[in-house]
Amino acid sequence: MNGTKNVLEIRDVAVHFGGRSGLLSGTGPVVKAVNGVDLRIGHAETVALVGESGCGKSTLSNTIVGLQAPASGSVRINGEEVVGAGKKKLNDIRRKVQMIFQDPALSLDPRSTVGATIAEPMIVRGVASGKELKARVATLLQQVGLRAEHADRYPHQFSGGQRQRIVIARALALEPDLVICDEPVSALDVSVRAQILNLLVALQKRTGVSYLFVSHDLGVVRHICDRVVVMYLGRFVEMADRDTFFANPKHPYTKALMSAVPEADPVVQRSKERLILSGELPSPANIPSGCAFHTRCPLATEICSRERPELTPRADGARVACHHA
Amino acid sequence: MDVAANPLLSVDRLTIDIAGAHVVDEVSFTVAPGKVIALVGESGCGKSLTSYAMLGLLPPAARRTEGRIMLENVDLAVISERRFRKVRGKDISIIFQEPSASLDPLTTVGEQIAEAYRVHHGVSKTEAFEKARQMLVDVGIPDPGRRMYQYPFELSGGMCQRIMISIALICGPRVLIADEPTTALDVTIQAQILDLMKKLVAERGTAIVLITHDMGVVADIADDVAVMYAGRIAEIAPVHALFREPKHPYTALLLASVPKLDDAPKADLATIEGMVPNPSEFGVGCRFADRCPLATDKCRLEQPSLVDCGNGHRSACWHIDRLAEIRKVAT
Repeated sequence: MNGTKNVLEIRDVAVHFGGRSGLLSGTGPVVKAVNGVDLRIGHAETVALVGESGCGKSTLSNTIVGLQAPASGSVRINGEEVVGAGKKKLNDIRRKVQMIFQDPALSLDPRSTVGATIAEPMIVRGVASGKELKARVATLLQQVGLRAEHADRYPHQFSGGQRQRIVIARALALEPDLVICDEPVSALDVSVRAQILNLLVALQKRTGVSYLFVSHDLGVVRHICDRVVVMYLGRFVEMADRDTFFANPKHPYTKALMSAVPEADPVVQRSKERLILSGELPSPANIPSGCAFHTRCPLATEICSRERPELTPRADGARVACHHA
Repeated sequence: MDVAANPLLSVDRLTIDIAGAHVVDEVSFTVAPGKVIALVGESGCGKSLTSYAMLGLLPPAARRTEGRIMLENVDLAVISERRFRKVRGKDISIIFQEPSASLDPLTTVGEQIAEAYRVHHGVSKTEAFEKARQMLVDVGIPDPGRRMYQYPFELSGGMCQRIMISIALICGPRVLIADEPTTALDVTIQAQILDLMKKLVAERGTAIVLITHDMGVVADIADDVAVMYAGRIAEIAPVHALFREPKHPYTALLLASVPKLDDAPKADLATIEGMVPNPSEFGVGCRFADRCPLATDKCRLEQPSLVDCGNGHRSACWHIDRLAEIRKVAT
């Protein structure tokens, strides 16, 4: 892996749904799930993608792994273009990108042994077979804190935290450069959450893998990520290094998110400045004009409903899309 | 603990068995009007079973073998189902985690709210409907006149949870059980719902039993906290005391495993090794002993009872005096 090259580089990616005429209806509304975003992730870097349901973060994740074709823009993995790549090329690129989902119980085949589940990607790619395959499964299990003999068991014989370890082992089987972690600890109990976070950090230190970490838990994000990107209705509204981001959040939506996430400390939590947003996320099928956030923004003025603010760099290196921040 | 002054609901040594194992074991707590007690714990700790027992909704496999659930002077643990029907929804009600799964998809939300009132008060449809509309105003739903005629699928998750709260509160219950009420919601909506619950508690003097695993939610809204582990209360205390100085190793480790502001990035978080035991594996000693860094032989052989540590703070641990060692491990 070339240290100077970006593992992931996406430029001006837009993903739209619908808009085609149906059998009975006329032309439906176009849902602009992702609307022109740029992002780079370097070697051994962890970038957090923060936002609420419907903001487009899952669509963006799917686009990066090639499960969803973008309407426009470019997605490069290790410098190779994913968009428009042929099936074979796409397959080669894809093995370098893996995903971990929120609920490990739903990501594992209940009728496959753990060993078979972890071996499958290696069989499909013809990476290893026979004794060598078995040995690699054992090594992977040990890397994620399980034991080699666990390979013969079934997912239901494990706890939630152990199942997430199995999912991680499978994701690592092809030695990916980038792992997209979609809320990887949200479904887990608090005491095992810390175990999984420690594991992800340790694996990164050892293998240099990069993470795109999708989460709404800002405490976890602050702990594990190098950079943070906040997404609202298909666009990035703020991106910054972790320290800058948490020391000096700028976009009113970022501030609202920070104020909404309860701190596990009653003194801090009850004395902090509250910025409770009114209303709910507008439908992505009907994105407000100008700045999409203006309908819920406490700072909004007339210009906000008219002109869409671009992401602009600030003195401390953060980039923010707001007329007033 | 000020709830002792005048408890509205008092659960006393509640024990629930499933297949011979005490999955809820001698759980006791009280809650006063206008107060919030949080039952905190991980999956399988018995917090949900405890709350279902309070509503007479235990699953068939579960059986209450001991203990009382006093709502003022009525023991909910022994009254008949017929009598419970008059209490449930009127004096004590519940909101669940997944609002869209708790609402009838084929009935307008207005009718669902009005039904709860009509059943308990025997008023006309028109009167109940008007009452329901007023309730929607109270829970902050804009344009209630129109919303009344909508179906659950037409509303967002946050709206549906407000509808659930309306149904739960329309009869003015004295106790509300909130079982992970915000877990399925986005954070900005969670903040709205928590604020709404705080407002309702203050205005109506409703006592809330909040079931949650989220320490942030506890820190936000609870007055008292009972930390449950494997069916037993490990520690119970006023919220500030619990966070400032936990007196049970499980609580201390749980709090230490949550990433905090001043942690070094990517540093190792404190973890609790092993996992929650199965009810069939509960031994005679402390149920946390196998995972506890302080455990001694005594812990494995003898079950600790809750001991008063002063100021309403009680902990069930043989080694309360050695807790400083945990705090050292944790940092």
